[in-house]
Amino acid sequence: MDSLITTFHIDWKIIIAQVINFGIVFAVLYMFALKPLKKLMTEREEKIAKGVTDAKENAEMIEKTRKEYDEVLNKARAEAHTIFQEGKRDADAKKAEMLEDAKNEVGVMIASGKKTLESEKAKIIEEAKKEIVSLVVLATEKVLKDNDNTGVNEKTVKQINNM
Amino acid sequence: METTSSEINTNQVEIDLGQQAEVETKPVHEATLYAEPIYHIGSFAITNALFTSWIAVFLIIIIAISLRRKLKEIPKGIQNFFEIILEGAFSLCDQVTGSRTITTKVFPLAISVFFFILINNWLGILPFGGFGLVEKGGAESVFIPFIRSGTADINTTLALSLMAVVGANIFGIISIGLWKTFNKYVNLKALAGIITKIRREPTVLVVAPVTFFVGVLELIGEFAKIASLSFRLFGNVFAGEVLLLSMSALLAYGLPIPFLFLEIFVGLIQAFIFSILVLVYFTIASQDHDEHDEHEEPAHAMT
Repeated sequence: MDSLITTFHIDWKIIIAQVINFGIVFAVLYMFALKPLKKLMTEREEKIAKGVTDAKENAEMIEKTRKEYDEVLNKARAEAHTIFQEGKRDADAKKAEMLEDAKNEVGVMIASGKKTLESEKAKIIEEAKKEIVSLVVLATEKVLKDNDNTGVNEKTVKQINNM
Repeated sequence: METTSSEINTNQVEIDLGQQAEVETKPVHEATLYAEPIYHIGSFAITNALFTSWIAVFLIIIIAISLRRKLKEIPKGIQNFFEIILEGAFSLCDQVTGSRTITTKVFPLAISVFFFILINNWLGILPFGGFGLVEKGGAESVFIPFIRSGTADINTTLALSLMAVVGANIFGIISIGLWKTFNKYVNLKALAGIITKIRREPTVLVVAPVTFFVGVLELIGEFAKIASLSFRLFGNVFAGEVLLLSMSALLAYGLPIPFLFLEIFVGLIQAFIFSILVLVYFTIASQDHDEHDEHEEPAHAMT
């Protein structure tokens, strides 16, 4: 052991000095480099992990929202289609009904027109008859006046008037 | 040719002066096994290896402080470089320890050992070997360089090994407790097992003394660890310095260059090996040997 110490000049003072040297290195590296660097890296890692998680969540949320949007849109489309179909059906029914009503009204109007026309016609014919009779009477009177045959004329006028 | 003629002239002058004049000889640089003292403070000798270690400490402080100042969320330059090293080293430590908890605790020490040894190793191969002092001792004077690898001195490597082994055992005490750590070396539990298990397992009479002896071997192994760690590092770095010196002596220009590269690599590898071994010792110290026995015992009892 002594020869080892003598050969290699093993000196406990230098050993202690080297221990102190290493202690300083360890303390300085730990305080100024390793600890802050590790903290920074961990924070960054957490931030990145959070960012990735958030991005995933956002993507999922977007996907979900898109699905909901599509569902709502499809539903709205289906409802609109149904409503449109119902409306169309109602409108068709209404149209048919209105057409029927119009037809009926037209029929009624035509019938009443015909009636009015008939009555007007009858009235006109009556009036025309009366006109004709009066004209005939006037014409007969005039003819009779010219012939001076009073007895016959009066008789004729009476016959005509009775007509 | 000129050198030869000047040497002849010098010899002629020496002959002419005869015995009256002292022979002027070139200072000799010997590769000594030990670090040479360059200054004395009382009885404390400051060796060139210790001086180099101080330079290493100073450099590490400068690097650490400049790194601390330049720390930013988005890494750049020196921070980027250290982050890459740190991340790689951390995952490597994880592989060695097999536990994130142990890695987190031991990593700062292992990386500090790595940088301390690395800078010390590399400082020794810097071309500052010409700076030193000449010590006259008798007929010939000796050249003592100011710079010698810190790890080319057994005192440095011994200090590091002692710290590693003692530190590992302290870590073991903290991790698994004083009693279990003590029982690793002086296995009283095994001896006590003779009394408690002799009826159930008569083989314990053979097993327990062997187990106790294994504990004693473990204790011897701790000293072997100190020796192996310190002498491996010292031997490699010192051999490198001797190799460079020999090559320079053979041909100062060009020839040492490949060996300089070799020494850069050796310095890196040795720092790496030492720090990995520190990590391994700490990991072993933090593991409880009895856990395996307790797990194995029920199966053994079944048979």
